[in-house]
Amino acid sequence: MYKRVIVPMTALAALLTLFAVVSPTGAKGQSRGEDVIFANKNVTINTPVVGTVQMYGGTLHVNEVIHGDLMVISGTVIFAGRGRVLGNIIHAGAVLQGAEGRTEGRIYPLASLEGAASALTKTAIVASLLLVWMITAVVVTLMSGREIRVSSQEVRSSALHCFVLGLVAMTSFVLTAIAFSYLVPYVVGIPLLAALAVFGVLTKVFGMIALFHAVGTLVAGSRSREQLSRRKWLRGDLAMVVIGVLLLGAIRFIPVIGPMVWSLASIFGIGVALATKFGRREPWFLAFRAANA
Amino acid sequence: MTCEDYLEDPETNASHLASCSICATLEEEIEIRHRPVAVDALPLAPWEGAKYRTWPLVGAGLLAVFALAIVLSAAAEVSPLTAVTSSMPSVQALLTFFQLTGRAMGAPVVAVLFVVINAVLILLLRRPPKGADV
Repeated sequence: MYKRVIVPMTALAALLTLFAVVSPTGAKGQSRGEDVIFANKNVTINTPVVGTVQMYGGTLHVNEVIHGDLMVISGTVIFAGRGRVLGNIIHAGAVLQGAEGRTEGRIYPLASLEGAASALTKTAIVASLLLVWMITAVVVTLMSGREIRVSSQEVRSSALHCFVLGLVAMTSFVLTAIAFSYLVPYVVGIPLLAALAVFGVLTKVFGMIALFHAVGTLVAGSRSREQLSRRKWLRGDLAMVVIGVLLLGAIRFIPVIGPMVWSLASIFGIGVALATKFGRREPWFLAFRAANA
Repeated sequence: MTCEDYLEDPETNASHLASCSICATLEEEIEIRHRPVAVDALPLAPWEGAKYRTWPLVGAGLLAVFALAIVLSAAAEVSPLTAVTSSMPSVQALLTFFQLTGRAMGAPVVAVLFVVINAVLILLLRRPPKGADV
């Protein structure tokens, strides 16, 4: 049964998926041949561009119309002359000069903190997000304290594995999202992307709370039974999570270092959530062996 | 009652010793040490005291963060809710980002990377977790 049906069916499904990903031109979307891509270059656009422009690092002078979208990941874009974008401008870690009023669409910062007007607004956003994290952490710990504790133990006992797993999982999420985005013109891509987003958010939230617990335990956890019995406040899962949120939250306010620490924490968090299957310690894949006759 | 029954449950089938010399000899040879367990000498288990809920600490922490969020939001002239919602990236922007990145990489590269990365992920997920809990 296994060799005759399941293996060929799986192979066929994989091939079909691969075919759908590799050949999205059959869909009703745009063609792929009109994109202009620059990487770490100093470029000036003096003739109209029919498709989209993507820039990864470098400097781009836009003096003519771009009929599609403009995506900038790191780098500088300077608008001058007849320079306009008829689509949207999407940017992350980039500097846009003179972009106001030069787009028919909208300007989207991928990480909205970058788009915040002032340092004070950024700090207010960080504080508000910290409040959300705190409330979520308390609720989740009350609901599934044991799972959080098990994951916290895992990240402390095999941190490297959790980090590697988190890194690979994040790459997998992005690649899967890119692969699913090819299927958007076929409609099926939208629910797939939504499901991936929900799974990604749940993984990150659970993992971060486990990490809060781990940080709290490392910093303020009881080392002995006597110490535990003497303590009135600093004991229990809830206290460890709150300590962890406050510590990592305080670090988050430090410019440059804060976002880096939280990015690393996210990687560890995603890794530990997946390593322990959300604290359940169950295998992700069952051992599938053909029954002996 | 067989020897196997006795070995499976020696306490229930203790009468078997009277009728079986082999099992009786085995029972005599096995040395059972009844040592008292010094609980305090054992390392602190992660679950000990874990269920304890320190509400004053939770309340103080929540209040501190809430006050900080309110004060900073008021200073920046934005509401905390607006601050939270504005920090979420736009779905349209993310979708365009994925589509454009996919086009820049090229479908064959994405397909190969997709298979390779997910194969590595599956291999990593097969490792059982290390930490233990009761």
